[in-house]
Amino acid sequence: MTVSAPIIKVENLKKWFPVRTGIRSFFSEQRWVKAVDGVFFDVKPGDSLVIAGESGSGKTTLVRTMLRLIEPTAGSVNFEGEAVFTMIPDDLRLFRRRVQLIFQNPFEALDPRHTVKDLVGEGLVIHEMVSDEEELMKRVLNALEDVRLIPAEDFSRRFPHELSGGQLQRVAIARSLILEPKLVIADEPVSMLDASIRTEIMNLMTDLQKEHNLTYIFITHDLAQARYIGNWLIIMYLGKVMEMGPVEDVLQDPIHPYTQALISHIPIPDPTEERDRIDIPGETPTPIDLPPGCRFRPRCQAVDEYCTDDEPELQQIGPNRWVACHGWEARKEKKH
Amino acid sequence: MSVLRIEDLCTHYFLGEDRVQAVDKITFDIAESEIFGLAGESGCGKTTAAYSIMRILPENGAIVNGQIFLDGDDVVEKTDEEMRQLRWRKVSIVFQYAMNAFNPVLRIGNQIVEVMQEKQSIDKEEATKRVKELFDEVGLEPERIRDYPHEFSGGMRQRAIIAQALAAEPRLIIADEPVTALDVIVQNKILGLLRSLQKKYKLAVLLITHDLSVVAENSDRVGIMYAGKLVEVGSTVNVFKRSLHPYTYKLIGAFPSVKGPKRRLEFIPGTPPDLVRPPSGCRFHPRCPWAQEICNLEVPEYREYEKKHWVACHFAGEINFEVES
Repeated sequence: MTVSAPIIKVENLKKWFPVRTGIRSFFSEQRWVKAVDGVFFDVKPGDSLVIAGESGSGKTTLVRTMLRLIEPTAGSVNFEGEAVFTMIPDDLRLFRRRVQLIFQNPFEALDPRHTVKDLVGEGLVIHEMVSDEEELMKRVLNALEDVRLIPAEDFSRRFPHELSGGQLQRVAIARSLILEPKLVIADEPVSMLDASIRTEIMNLMTDLQKEHNLTYIFITHDLAQARYIGNWLIIMYLGKVMEMGPVEDVLQDPIHPYTQALISHIPIPDPTEERDRIDIPGETPTPIDLPPGCRFRPRCQAVDEYCTDDEPELQQIGPNRWVACHGWEARKEKKH
Repeated sequence: MSVLRIEDLCTHYFLGEDRVQAVDKITFDIAESEIFGLAGESGCGKTTAAYSIMRILPENGAIVNGQIFLDGDDVVEKTDEEMRQLRWRKVSIVFQYAMNAFNPVLRIGNQIVEVMQEKQSIDKEEATKRVKELFDEVGLEPERIRDYPHEFSGGMRQRAIIAQALAAEPRLIIADEPVTALDVIVQNKILGLLRSLQKKYKLAVLLITHDLSVVAENSDRVGIMYAGKLVEVGSTVNVFKRSLHPYTYKLIGAFPSVKGPKRRLEFIPGTPPDLVRPPSGCRFHPRCPWAQEICNLEVPEYREYEKKHWVACHFAGEINFEVES
């Protein structure tokens, strides 16, 4: 692991949503959906962290809270050493320029009534980063060329409906890059796209990372994508980090029973490959009224007595590996 | 005998003066107890092919040529009333959006009972009993037939839809992206369920998906579509391991995997063509790195290159995919 200071550091971040149950709520205790429930991690400059998990695992709420798009319940986020949750509006504005968000659906993220030039240049105008129209145009064309929308001049005049899904996502990327961000957070950036275009965008993002010294946080439910695009991986389940480590290590040697099961279920594009699937009963519940102890316990295949006692915290178990499971050591000894 | 046999099917959509050649001369068949995976990117015509079989095309779409035999009976010739009789009984469809497949204000059980009573001479009591059995079979608690759709999770709804598809004991089930909106673990369970029911009832299944990983793991045979054309058909192993069509090879190469060596994936430059004015000759030629002059001039014949491995490419078997020209 590099020794450089983290670009972003998340500590004990929580986001709980109140459950409204009508008249009964007057008489009973307030209940909560614990969408994000005590998350710790940090990202080093130049890294590409993938936050993966099933729907309802809290991955999107996590980044929304990190960016203070919704107010946190508890915890802290430090961006380049500054506490995000106590920033004054001017600092927050700067923070939101340096951390850019790319959404899943470019068809919805881009205003259909603006030209590509206006869409890409909007941020520059808002943040007063250009002095005149000429400079604006020059920067926009540069950004379009960066994302390989060539001829840039021609693309700049088009409207979103004149572009394909892949091209729209490039516009969304150009719109972020033009603000010279340090950190780019992409929420399922290629899930809406077809396979061949998906690869094209993933390759582009990998190249741009090198060209612009970017740090990435990707959110995805697809671990095959995670492997392709990231170097660090976080596996979330019901608002908590279950496992964290280098992508390849986690995928090839998962330690948490949830990660093991999840990986065993990913289909692979090879009909000759034999797979052993680890059964996992039921479906992911809503994070309300979680059981005492480990939240994965009701579905876990490696469950033991100690799992009911207290909630396992994310602990470091190797130079680069973290896992939130009481039984990892016992299982490891059994294996040897 | 094949449960489904499609011959030279052409389905077009009419947009004013224009004509979108969404499905153009496709031929394939599905046998009893067989899962046929139909894969391709958005807009390649796979759903149009499915809607043609069900005869549920939108108003501006029409089958302009070809035959679709269901148990030897040509459905293209059927009247609307005859077709209505066939649906659910011979062929049923499982849609992608489990959310929208049920009426939200009616109990799920009643909606399936309704299908049964319409399609079979069966009284309500017996139909209800049968729905409970079906629920049990697809892994839902029989008591939950009284639930409303919103009380079910995505996976449970997909199970209920499969129960509904089985209600009138069809021979063929068309599953159009049945698991696309689901998480991997649920996805696998639903596919496992589909496979076990398919074996038990000797069903023919047309599995439509854009996800080659799902096709690789769940089908006996595979058809790859591109721009309205069926470009390659064969056993799953042959299509994946001994691809004959450049598009098949390229598409497989664009899929990331959690296993095997990590490599830089390749994409296919360009975009799929506009099907109002598809390219001349082979529809893939503008994007094909191995295209020659003939590819622009002549439509490649869809032929059986080796036993049970069909392809539509002028240079099938002659291309070294490792080297791009």
